[in-house]
Amino acid sequence: MTNIYFFLGKGGVGKTTISSAWAAGLAKIGRKTLLVSLDPAHTLSDALNVMVTGRIKRISDSLDATEIDIDQMIQDYLQDVSTTMKSTYRYLSTLNIDRYFNILKNSPGVEEYAILEGIKEFVSKDEYDIIVFDTPPAGMMVRVLGMPRVSLVWTESLIAMRRKILSRRRMIENVQGRFEADVGGEKVVLTSEEKEDPVMQELVSYKNEMEALRNLFSSQSCKVSIVTMAEELALSETERIIGALKEFYIPVEKVYLNKYMRIENPPEEIIGKIEEQGSVVMRMKEELKGIDIIEIPMLRSSPRGVEVLLALYRDYLKEGEKV
Amino acid sequence: MRNLFEVIKGFFKGVDRGMREVSTSLIQNELEEYENAFALLTMGFLSGLPSPPTGLVIRLFPHMQREIQVMMSKSSGLFDAFGSTMGKFSVD
Ligand SMILES: Nc1ncnc2c1ncn2[C@@H]1O[C@H](COP(=O)(O)OP(=O)(O)OP(=O)(O)O)[C@@H](O)[C@H]1O
Ligand SMILES: [Mg+2]
Repeated sequence: MTNIYFFLGKGGVGKTTISSAWAAGLAKIGRKTLLVSLDPAHTLSDALNVMVTGRIKRISDSLDATEIDIDQMIQDYLQDVSTTMKSTYRYLSTLNIDRYFNILKNSPGVEEYAILEGIKEFVSKDEYDIIVFDTPPAGMMVRVLGMPRVSLVWTESLIAMRRKILSRRRMIENVQGRFEADVGGEKVVLTSEEKEDPVMQELVSYKNEMEALRNLFSSQSCKVSIVTMAEELALSETERIIGALKEFYIPVEKVYLNKYMRIENPPEEIIGKIEEQGSVVMRMKEELKGIDIIEIPMLRSSPRGVEVLLALYRDYLKEGEKV
Repeated sequence: MRNLFEVIKGFFKGVDRGMREVSTSLIQNELEEYENAFALLTMGFLSGLPSPPTGLVIRLFPHMQREIQVMMSKSSGLFDAFGSTMGKFSVD
């Protein structure tokens, strides 16, 4: 069973850095690891110091990495559907179809859908022990992780409705024969059989996919952690993410407090900041029971490249980790 | 005698067809209502109605397009709710 890891957090907190370090660390101890960036803003290549956009690239013995282009994925996918539709149903006016696709392309939720498709594609690869996902900012990622459950509510009620349609069609068919129509010179039949009805088939396969993802996201093999910083706003933000995920039955494993400032005798200018940090950590430990809180110090320079990330793993992430 | 038998048979046939037509048209109405509602639910994004998750819409879209064309050609006048929605996007 592949173990998958998600590191969630708002922009710039260190998701890419920590997920890369985590992947590098697990690969180093011999686990076959794939690191995937789902973030439309590409920064994984920068963190690794290796270009990984658009294809799976070997980084070290057990580590592969890639960065998928979400916008391109949406574009390609819709283009695909549109081409198939135009060639299958010649009567569809090209103009109208393109207009629909333009609306779809810009519909809210299309990015989340593409990200979920990306996740689905990678988790189906069984050559990896570990898949680590670097994610877009938390708001979007929570919606992505919750999407299987939300979609299932819709899918199930549409399936029930579809059944009613098909059963009514069957009754009428028994009296009047099959529903046939001439659409732009092509004979099209509307079936009453579930197995022949393309709408029902699509609903059912979508339902199966969503069930698999829902189960995966709530399972033992999926670990979700939050990356944040020890600041006043971080606590409520973190609690919001935990609460939202809880509604989808997705537990949070760890909270990483990144860019933690460990300073012996802080200069006057930042004393307030250091105190805030201390009190946030205390409150977090109190309020987030059952969740490990891990501090990662502010490093002297931005960690880049596998060796540096590996050191970060060894020094701060590995501790107490049973893999 | 044979004639009468035919007449009686014919009469019952007529009654049967009449009743079947009545109940068929009831079912037909029901079917049309379900079909309309289904189409509005899955294609409502065209008019800004609340929609299922976009992923589901994208997946159903190719099939619904075909379905709607057939439904529209099946009976004109039907599909008013949807027709006006589509009309906004100058779809005939
Ligand atoms: N512990 C740390 N010490 C010093 N610099 C850090 C640390 N963690 C991350 N950084 C630096 O902070 C910047 C932001 O980190 P990173 O790109 O990992 O964040 P992110 O959450 O992935 O951001 P985005 O939302 O833009 O994808 C980077 O330049 C990174 O090198
Ligand atoms: Mg990032």
